[in-house]
Amino acid sequence: MEAPSSHLSARGAPRWLLSGRRSSSSAGTECDTGRDMKTHFRVCRFIMEIGVKLGMRSVPVATACVLYHRFFERVNLAEYEPYLVAMSCVYLAGKVEEQHIRTRDIINVSHRYFNSGGAPLECDKEFWDLRDSVVQCEILILRQLSFQVSFEHPHKYLLHYMLSAKSLVNRHAWSRTPVTETSWALLRDCYHGSMCIRHSAQHIAIAMLYLALNSYGVELPVGEKPWWQVLCDDVTKEDIDAVITELLQLYDMEAKCI
Amino acid sequence: MDRDLLRQCLLYHGESLFNKLKCEQTENPDFQALASDLCKITSESRAEEPSCPLVEQFIARKADILFNPAWKTATSQREDLEEMEEAAEPYAIMPPLELFMEVPYEEKRSMVYRDLERGDIVVGRINNIREYGFFLTLLCMAGELKRDMEDLDLSALCHIKEIPSTGSHDDPLSYYQTGDFIRAVVKDIDRYQEKITVSLLPASLSPNLEGIKLGVITQEELPIHYSRALRASSDFNQTYGSILRSCHGYHNPCVVDYLLQKVRISDTHPPSMMRGLQSKLFKEEDFASSIRKKQSASWALKCVKAGVDHFKHGRHVEAMNEYNKALEIDTNNVEALVARGALYANKGSILKAITDFEQALESCPDHRNAKKYLCQTLVERGKQLEEQEKLVTAEGLYRRALSLDDKNLDAQDALRKITDTIQKSIRLREEALAKEQENVKTSESSAQKLRKILKEEKRMKKKKKRSASSSSSSSTSSRDSSSSSSSSSRRRSKKKKKKHKKSQRGGKHRRRLSSRDSKRSEEGKREKNGRKQKDEEEVEWYPAPQNTSATFLYQKGGPRFGDDDNGDDVQEHYNDEGKISQLYSLAAASEHEDSDSSRWERKRRESKSSRRRSTHSKSPKMEDRRRSQSKERRAKEGERGKEENRRNSDSKRRNSFEEYRKRKVSCSSIDSTEYSRKSSSQSEYSGYSASKHLEKRERYNPGKRNSFDGGRYEKEEWNKMQDISRGKQSRKDQGDDDDDDDDGGSRSAGGISKSSQNTGSQHAAAAKKDLPTNLLDIFHKIAEFEKEKGVGLKK
Repeated sequence: MEAPSSHLSARGAPRWLLSGRRSSSSAGTECDTGRDMKTHFRVCRFIMEIGVKLGMRSVPVATACVLYHRFFERVNLAEYEPYLVAMSCVYLAGKVEEQHIRTRDIINVSHRYFNSGGAPLECDKEFWDLRDSVVQCEILILRQLSFQVSFEHPHKYLLHYMLSAKSLVNRHAWSRTPVTETSWALLRDCYHGSMCIRHSAQHIAIAMLYLALNSYGVELPVGEKPWWQVLCDDVTKEDIDAVITELLQLYDMEAKCI
Repeated sequence: MDRDLLRQCLLYHGESLFNKLKCEQTENPDFQALASDLCKITSESRAEEPSCPLVEQFIARKADILFNPAWKTATSQREDLEEMEEAAEPYAIMPPLELFMEVPYEEKRSMVYRDLERGDIVVGRINNIREYGFFLTLLCMAGELKRDMEDLDLSALCHIKEIPSTGSHDDPLSYYQTGDFIRAVVKDIDRYQEKITVSLLPASLSPNLEGIKLGVITQEELPIHYSRALRASSDFNQTYGSILRSCHGYHNPCVVDYLLQKVRISDTHPPSMMRGLQSKLFKEEDFASSIRKKQSASWALKCVKAGVDHFKHGRHVEAMNEYNKALEIDTNNVEALVARGALYANKGSILKAITDFEQALESCPDHRNAKKYLCQTLVERGKQLEEQEKLVTAEGLYRRALSLDDKNLDAQDALRKITDTIQKSIRLREEALAKEQENVKTSESSAQKLRKILKEEKRMKKKKKRSASSSSSSSTSSRDSSSSSSSSSRRRSKKKKKKHKKSQRGGKHRRRLSSRDSKRSEEGKREKNGRKQKDEEEVEWYPAPQNTSATFLYQKGGPRFGDDDNGDDVQEHYNDEGKISQLYSLAAASEHEDSDSSRWERKRRESKSSRRRSTHSKSPKMEDRRRSQSKERRAKEGERGKEENRRNSDSKRRNSFEEYRKRKVSCSSIDSTEYSRKSSSQSEYSGYSASKHLEKRERYNPGKRNSFDGGRYEKEEWNKMQDISRGKQSRKDQGDDDDDDDDGGSRSAGGISKSSQNTGSQHAAAAKKDLPTNLLDIFHKIAEFEKEKGVGLKK
């Protein structure tokens, strides 16, 4: 299981791919969680960007991010090329979520991500080597995750919760307020960080809805039990706050990282 | 920025948010415009406890996104009522949230009065029926808005005017009973006096809800969320989460996609609060599909280059492989198509080359090389066609080539030449046509002469016989054609003779056949009647001339009619044709009994049999007819010349027709093989046949042969004909017997002919029996027949 990163990066990752991790590679052996977070943020941004360009839906993108975070939960960031792992995660997520994406498209879009405006890759050895390493890395991820690659995502919880919340609000007030769009955007954005593997799907969904409603000052009727307690029994206000705080940190990180 | 939204937000968060907004959105002109206005609102803020500063920070920072009117992608629209079954629900339909939240009674009630609107669909139970209408206890709502209203004691009045009359009842109310579940549409709400009126009239439905059934509904038709709410309120173990997980819809693998569509969020251009992920930052050229397209084009081009390299070094197969690879990578790659087209053209596959060039020009109409090459290839193809004498097509190609490149000298030259050739050929053709028409006239006249002579001879014979015996006259008349042909055949070599005999037969049929054909238009549907046909047989001997314009087609061979034995020549010629056409008709007849050819076949056979019958016919009826016919004939003899002329022209017309038929079948080798087989069988047969009845048997032979070839159909035909002739025979026998002795020879001949018919049918059954045994059978049958006849006469 200890596939040396030298093997992967030497064979698979060309220079344009390696350039993406300048900051982390310069860190050397020094384990800096803050630095790692930033790298992960960038790589996840990469996943989301190529996800949009590849026409991936939200759930496969989320799966790719979870795969990525779970993989680096188990291995040291310094040992693997994160962008290559990300590409393989996208490829694998496409398979897991039944939205198959071709490696050629992944490589093309990634190549353009790092060389914006450049000509597309030639069909030469570099391309085929890269393709091989993406496929090999996919196998590596699968083995690292013990082939447990299907996850429960907050997406469908959020949508159901949203519909329930909608019924509680005056329809005109609801249609005036873009709670749906905001909560969906928040949910997608939260995959920049690793909260998706540390919090349950319901908690994340509730927190996203909570923040969206809060942002617009939409008030739900107050009963014996708060609405979020009803939606999920084991959620506490602290859980929600924790998720929200983490999410807001990610938004702060955007300015620092990109 | 959406002022109302911002105002709502500020009312909720208070002054601290406003300060942060002022701080963060200093550069936003939109906010600056609203700031003074919003300042007043903050003072009205009822935010007692300060909300989380982080959230406020977030709102303040993302305010330009959050409150951007463009952020809201979902347009406010009344949604349709979803009538779905529990098993098919695409997403989990949950009971109202307030049921679990235990919202106080008063608040719930006020919420309902606040949110209920005219046009909403409600479900209630009738609790009271009065003369002016009935009262409903509202149970739930059936639209998008799901509210728990069962224990809110909400009462709604349905006035009698709002109940559609059923027609059969004077009182519409009598249709309703207390306790009925009613689906109704809200007509009016008085929020102050808390009065709701509902209607059952479909007219009061809003347009997007049209088609919903109002009135009494069953327990099963109650909304799903209501029944689930009922279950949840009775069972405290059921929580929102557990109900959600127990729903089918929740486990729908496409639930996210379905719901996203329902709430109108695009998943391909998803919203994001991250500044770097705003959809406006994504350029179309960065998307996978456009990169792939570009890449494929460049890869294909690379392959084309390699292919061209191969081509230059003469490695055509490798070049073709490269071009094909290029087209596989990028279908419709113009360069690859042009290169492959050029290679095809070089290899002589001109049609493929043209296809490639055309496809290339389709996607890139101004491609210079494609145009040039296509032009050249079209000229090339035109020349090919010219060689094949397809001048008009070639001319079209030249014209197309010129339409592509009007300066192409080759095409210009070729077009000029071909137009000349075409005009010349037209002129030549016209001349030839005129000449041939002349030829036809002259040859006709010479043929006429010969015919006249022959005819005269026959007539003379006939007259003699007729004076002697009326019955024998008919027999000679039947023989006349054969005698003429046989006489001519005598003149020929032995080798030819064999062929000739056969052709004679065919010719006879043919002659009769075609004369019938000319009659057919006049006779219409009488052709199925055997007896009538028989009558026609004699009349048709002199058909009216028809269109002779096509004759020159056939006579291209040369002025044969001028020769001494032209009659023979002509006859043989069209006899051969007749045989072929017969063959053809046989093949066709085997399947379609009612088809033209089969009818022809039948007629031919029937005419034969009738002729045969007439040979030994003794019935006075027949005789009379025959006499009258011969009278007719005699009367016509005055116009003999005319007749002959007609005949000739008729035969020529026939010939041309047969030529056409021949062309149809000529491609198949069948006729030749068939022919040899027939000739052998025929010779065999004739070897065994009695020399006395040679002519007759020869006449029957084709029928027999037909039975060989035609199979089942033939058999049927033969049987039919036998039936007819048998019936005739018996009638004839009963009719009179005085002539019996007169013409014993003819009778025996008739017997033989009959038996040969029988054998014909037998042949059909046992197709390849040896002929000698068959002949024995024939003689046996003759004997039997004679006996039977004798018995019949005694009776």
